[in-house]
Amino acid sequence: MLNIITCFKWVIDEADIKADAATRKLLFGRAGYKISAYDRHAIEEAVRFQEQHGASVAAVTVAPPSAKKCLKDALSRGPDSACFVNDPSFLDLDPSQTSSILAAAVRGRIKFDLIICGEGSDDLYAQQVGPALAERLGIPCATCVSKLTYAEDEKHIIAERRLDDGMETVLVPLPALVSVLPGINTPRIPTLKEVLGAAKKEIFNVALEELGDIPGPYLKTVEVVAAAMDRRGIRFSADEEGVRSAVNALFKEGVLSQGVL
Amino acid sequence: MANDKFTAIVVGAGPAGSTAALVLARAGHEVLLIEKGAVPGAKNMFGGRLYSHALNRIIPEFWERAPVERPVVRETLTLLHDGRSVSLNVRNLDWVSPPHHSFTLHRAEFDAWLASEAEEAGAMLACSIRVDDLLMENGRVIGIRAGEDEMFADVVIAADGVNSLLAQRAGLAGMASPRQVATGVKQIIELPSDVIRRRFQLEGNNGAAQLFVGDCTGGMQGGGFVYTNRESVSLGLVINANELRKTQRSLFELIEDFKMNPHIAPLLEGGDVGEYSAHLIPEAGLAMMPRVFGQGILVAGDAAGFALNLGYVVRGMDFAIASGEAAAKTVIQAKKHNDFSRRGLSFYQKYLRENFVLRDLAAYRRAPEFMENCRLFETYPDLITSLMAEVFTVSGSQPVHLFTKILSRVRQSRVSLAKLFIDGWRGATWL
Amino acid sequence: MDGIWIFAERQEQTLELLNPGRSLADMMGVKLAAFAADGGLAPEYIAHGADEVFVLPPLLPGQPLESYVAVLADEARKRTPGVFLIGATPRGKEIAARLAARLNTGLCSGCTGLHLRDGSNVLEMERLMFGGKAVQKVLCSARPQMATVLPGTFEPAVCLPDRKGVVVEVHSASSSEVRIVSRSARHREGADVTEAKIIVCVGRGVESEEHMERVRELARVVGGEIACTRPIAEECQWLPEEVYLGISGKRVKPDLYIGLGVSGQIQHVAGIRESKVIFAVNRDENAPIFDAADYGIVGDMCRVVPLLIDELGRLLKV
Ligand SMILES: Cc1cc2nc3c(=O)[nH]c(=O)nc-3n(C[C@H](O)[C@H](O)[C@H](O)COP(=O)(O)OP(=O)(O)OC[C@H]3O[C@@H](n4cnc5c(N)ncnc54)[C@H](O)[C@@H]3O)c2cc1C
Ligand SMILES: Cc1cc2nc3c(=O)[nH]c(=O)nc-3n(C[C@H](O)[C@H](O)[C@H](O)COP(=O)(O)OP(=O)(O)OC[C@H]3O[C@@H](n4cnc5c(N)ncnc54)[C@H](O)[C@@H]3O)c2cc1C
Ligand SMILES: Nc1ncnc2c1ncn2[C@@H]1O[C@H](COP(=O)(O)O)[C@@H](O)[C@H]1O
Repeated sequence: MLNIITCFKWVIDEADIKADAATRKLLFGRAGYKISAYDRHAIEEAVRFQEQHGASVAAVTVAPPSAKKCLKDALSRGPDSACFVNDPSFLDLDPSQTSSILAAAVRGRIKFDLIICGEGSDDLYAQQVGPALAERLGIPCATCVSKLTYAEDEKHIIAERRLDDGMETVLVPLPALVSVLPGINTPRIPTLKEVLGAAKKEIFNVALEELGDIPGPYLKTVEVVAAAMDRRGIRFSADEEGVRSAVNALFKEGVLSQGVL
Repeated sequence: MANDKFTAIVVGAGPAGSTAALVLARAGHEVLLIEKGAVPGAKNMFGGRLYSHALNRIIPEFWERAPVERPVVRETLTLLHDGRSVSLNVRNLDWVSPPHHSFTLHRAEFDAWLASEAEEAGAMLACSIRVDDLLMENGRVIGIRAGEDEMFADVVIAADGVNSLLAQRAGLAGMASPRQVATGVKQIIELPSDVIRRRFQLEGNNGAAQLFVGDCTGGMQGGGFVYTNRESVSLGLVINANELRKTQRSLFELIEDFKMNPHIAPLLEGGDVGEYSAHLIPEAGLAMMPRVFGQGILVAGDAAGFALNLGYVVRGMDFAIASGEAAAKTVIQAKKHNDFSRRGLSFYQKYLRENFVLRDLAAYRRAPEFMENCRLFETYPDLITSLMAEVFTVSGSQPVHLFTKILSRVRQSRVSLAKLFIDGWRGATWL
Repeated sequence: MDGIWIFAERQEQTLELLNPGRSLADMMGVKLAAFAADGGLAPEYIAHGADEVFVLPPLLPGQPLESYVAVLADEARKRTPGVFLIGATPRGKEIAARLAARLNTGLCSGCTGLHLRDGSNVLEMERLMFGGKAVQKVLCSARPQMATVLPGTFEPAVCLPDRKGVVVEVHSASSSEVRIVSRSARHREGADVTEAKIIVCVGRGVESEEHMERVRELARVVGGEIACTRPIAEECQWLPEEVYLGISGKRVKPDLYIGLGVSGQIQHVAGIRESKVIFAVNRDENAPIFDAADYGIVGDMCRVVPLLIDELGRLLKV
């Protein structure tokens, strides 16, 4: 039976973040949290493997204790257990720390043949934690995976990678790590029974003290400001007159005439 | 949980549902609270003020722990017409100290908090699940269906808000007609707290509520509101859905106009628009109330039409909380006799009467009819604002005495004295 | 601890990275080195500003580019560069992430701006976060200071044909447990959206092939290229992957972007932010695209697009 780990991140819902136009300060006021979008595909892929090949699936996250709610959400999506690596200091970690913490939490504690990460997290989109974790665990990896199959007898997986110049199919010996793109599957929406079932699943807590030395952080954030967005925001009606005025405005901007007239 | 059966399944984690779940869980019952939003309150909206009496009985001094914004210490009613406005300011020093009379708050935070109180008391909370139907057996509600899943309970509490799907499925209610509901739109304008304090002349963390009648709805039945939060101002309109259907203007345009109104604009200046949302409110009072209980089912909060829109107050949260509590008490009582039939659940009415919900709704039962009077939203704001403006205008022309001024204004407004008298009388007795 | 290093999957990206690389090297008074998988490219890299070119050993058949991680790590340990810039292609990003883990240093991914903090040798690196809603500036406390740089962020470095430089052969062996089984190149259809002056971009609001026809006609009338949001490419697969715009797709800077049935989620807007003028049609008055647009029409694109075609056709005489 395969042992699969899937790593997910609990992120602030970026749609809820507001910005102060004058100061470009970000306002997090009433922002909600969610499982990072790509990680829902990572969890789904692990659960599909479990259904097709028989596997145990552990969902692992690194977060401050306040993120506890995320475990129920993750477990309702199908994993058998969750590993909650938490400490109040696990806030705004840089990707190198996150990968070090994950490596330390997993190593010797959770059996695995395959680790599935999302390609990038919603908030940082660093696209680092997956490959960096593989490196720290000393296992091979494949990123940008859009299809995953298991060659059972050979202890290999076959991954299709979607790259900028085309597709690449690679054979990777297990244990290995893959990071997946959202095109790989359509995550299921947990049903009521699955949500209720999640309450009965096993949760392991791992504390900072159990992790040994975590190097870093190596990156220091010196500033975060809202991306500038000075747009005019002029609206026209959807009738002929409105369309005419809109087109006129575009001509006045000088962006239409060139080369065409 | 024996055979996956709950004592109660509560549908909707708004104030009604979460209160019901909280009270049941405290009494040690197996209760499942189901919410379709990703988190309770995520999509819920309201004007912005909770009258605290109902919740204070269930969670004493809740304001110490709950995410409330500001206690309201000043009420203002403003009539708007053309360039004129007349305001009535009411302050009561009692409102400043505990038990505070009412609080502004954000539903997203408040609903999530109240649901988590229920969860901590032992209720099971399942979010992102929409209940699609009731399970019936021999004319009795025995559970719910959500997607493929069926879940059973002694009682289902429908707390799923205005136009309750479940009350309709149980045959207790029909769809509300547009006349019976109002549409509310709201925006949150972010402003620093010291700016709010200065503009609304508030001390410390005190808050203000202001209601507007007249131009802000373009003469349509309804009103506008502005509430102060800690670092934002909630502002919006509540307009009868039937009248809204008749106009060409979109809600978005109406609220933009409201914001530009010279009487409002200075309050908002420099603020960033945060959330924007719209929602229905039941406003026909007792008239639209479905039967509020049936075989194996209780209906609470907006789902039962427990809301009151008096123009100068919009109440729904306190009714929701009190009816949620009453529903829970009913289930606890019914469980004692293991009788969840209509008869067994008929205590509900008694509890509702005892705790003010039915009493208040009955007292204001004619308010909706009064509110349908179009003079209220066009003629009277015009009359009163022009009269008051005239009273305070010194122009150097021939002096006219107050009484003559009033009479001439009334005549100009083409409302007969009889009508004026009737409206006045009704207003004083029905509201 | 010195030297600016550059590694990119393809020649044109190496030439782009040589541009900021050269300025940094001059300001910091250090050498600029570029990696080449093919020794034949060395003279060109030198002409474009490299002081040194490290020629990598050839990959064995079936070995992925990522096999170079070990080689690059060995070299970096030996020669201790101060800055290491890597082209942010999918392979480049994996290589950079693993390299940073091996070298125990920080990596700024998807870097969009590089500056030296006044008077020091510390790089201030800019990138987007929260789906493009915010700009984050980071410093790296370890060495090398690493960044992956998105293609198109910098212009290619200027070419000075008589520049001199050194070519160094790198000998350590590459290795990887990952084996390539097959590859299929993507064939390009149409022009490159990143070059287009006018872009007509479609989102989920497009519901049928018929809609698409009208959109194509509009694009023809204005002389623009067609692009799309991610779901149109990834879920519907109506348009090829390389024309979806956004934080995980292409970033474009046209004179005019016309969005049709695009909701304007931040991840998409992040890719069009530098358009000179943004014009949007969406039937939802609250769609976030209107916050990002200079001009907008709230309406059904089925009705608005034909009107646009007529009006533009008339004025542009096509
Ligand atoms: C613009 C406006 C201003 C208002 N101002 C005030 C005010 O100032 N003060 C005041 O006291 N009241 C005010 N109200 C009224 C008040 O908001 C409501 O009366 C109150 O929210 C009712 O609470 P509830 O729990 O019954 O319903 P809701 O708060 O509507 O909660 C119902 C819940 O059920 C969920 N749900 C619905 N269907 C399903 C389903 N099928 N399955 C699962 N879950 C479901 C919903 O997601 C929601 O969370 C205002 C209302 C509006 C619209
Ligand atoms: C980490 C991450 C990275 C991402 N990267 C990208 C990226 O690079 N690029 C990208 O595009 N997305 C990206 N996304 C997805 C992004 O968040 C949005 O989901 C996506 O951009 C939405 O595409 P859309 O606007 O086509 O579809 P929708 O959000 O479904 O919007 C469709 C719009 O069309 C309107 N509409 C419908 N019918 C009509 C009509 N008849 N007339 C007019 N209007 C109509 C609707 O009102 C709606 O606003 C990313 C997401 C994540 C989490
Ligand atoms: N805090 C975290 N806990 C668990 N997994 C994480 C965490 N952060 C990132 N990951 C995983 O690493 C992937 C890439 O994240 P990033 O490098 O931040 O873009 C995510 O999709 C997750 O699978």
